[in-house]
Amino acid sequence: MDETALILEAQHGDLDSFNTLVLTYQDIVFNTALRIMGDEESAADATQEAFLSAFRAIKSYRGGSFKAWLLRTVTNACYDELRRQKRRPSVPLEPETDDGEEMETPRWLADPSMSPEEAAEADELEHAIQHCLEALPVEFRAVVVLTDLQGMDYKEVAASVRVPLGTIKSRLARARLRLRECLQGFWELLPATFRLEEEILRT
Amino acid sequence: MTQTPSFRDVEKLSAYLDGQLKPSEIARLESRLKTDPELASILKDLRQTRGLLRRLPQRRAPRNFTLTPKMVGQKPPLPRTYPAFRFATVLATLLLFFTFATNFMAPLARTAAPYPYGRGGGGGGEPETMMEAAPEEPALEMPAMEEPAAPETPEPLSTPAEPSAEDSTGVEPTVEASEKSGVQEAPSGDTFAQQIPDEVPDRSPAPLISAPVQITLASIAILSALVAFALRYVAIRKWRAKAK
Repeated sequence: MDETALILEAQHGDLDSFNTLVLTYQDIVFNTALRIMGDEESAADATQEAFLSAFRAIKSYRGGSFKAWLLRTVTNACYDELRRQKRRPSVPLEPETDDGEEMETPRWLADPSMSPEEAAEADELEHAIQHCLEALPVEFRAVVVLTDLQGMDYKEVAASVRVPLGTIKSRLARARLRLRECLQGFWELLPATFRLEEEILRT
Repeated sequence: MTQTPSFRDVEKLSAYLDGQLKPSEIARLESRLKTDPELASILKDLRQTRGLLRRLPQRRAPRNFTLTPKMVGQKPPLPRTYPAFRFATVLATLLLFFTFATNFMAPLARTAAPYPYGRGGGGGGEPETMMEAAPEEPALEMPAMEEPAAPETPEPLSTPAEPSAEDSTGVEPTVEASEKSGVQEAPSGDTFAQQIPDEVPDRSPAPLISAPVQITLASIAILSALVAFALRYVAIRKWRAKAK
């Protein structure tokens, strides 16, 4: 059965058809949530919540990219989840100095509890990127995740996060600049093989 | 001529990477890029960052996120008779409650009248009318109000046919229950009983709703509830089996 037919069935309340769509899209939705939320548990919660609201609101889907529609739902679920977490105290996203000021330098990324060897053993690339993503304000993070990780176009992203197109452009540029700055601080910590790959990528 | 790239330039470069610029903008930017190494360097950085992000490995979902009917609040299709049985249960229970309430209210109405009561037994004056009267409470109130009006004419019924109006302790009245009610009512009844010990020996309030009616109602309530439960149980099991 093709996607359009499945969506139509789901719109008539058929849960089996909807679940077929869930199985098709759950990896994409989970990954989006994971990159926005930062940890698997919250990402799984947001994913489940997103599919639940998607089923409830599926009648409001009026064609277009179903993936984009789902990603809008998961972005909202992530925002809700983050708001919930904010109500409960958690670890701040921005690193702070001893006098409580926000650190500007990305040097904080060099986790003092981790030796370079240990850092190398971890999944460096993913760790570094996730770390830097989490250092971004959530609005920036969502935009960069939807655009660069999920390959959505600006219009779709604008619809997903409900901000004007111009804001998407500026958030994306700012996010990429900050990520670049953050990842540069990480550069030396990355294994040589990775740096080598990057050199190849650079050329 | 080169100029220090502004944030607006960075925005343009970022959009350029994503192919989001108009052809005229692209031409202008590309000509600037040729002459401005700083701008070109920013573009390289942005491209690299973008490339890195795209290389981020895609994780597999840790579990399936399929929805269950319970999660979306879907209910199994229940048989059409189910609401009827459920309604019957509720109605019978309500009626049963009314019978208790009515029987309980009757002696209270009598206390206003200056004649003794309090002993168990006796009564059972108009049990045959109860069947029809049961659902209509106002009709039931009538005899209760009338009786105190003629207290001087004791009814000649002396056989303790039915237990008196008890408190709502149980469906089936027992000897114990009537004794208990006797004890409870003793303080008010005793003084009168001593004053007129033999005049009206078996004067006691007739239960307005007889025990058989109550038992019938209780049976209906319990039976229809059981049938409704069984219907629901079978429907859910069938539905779950189908879902799997």
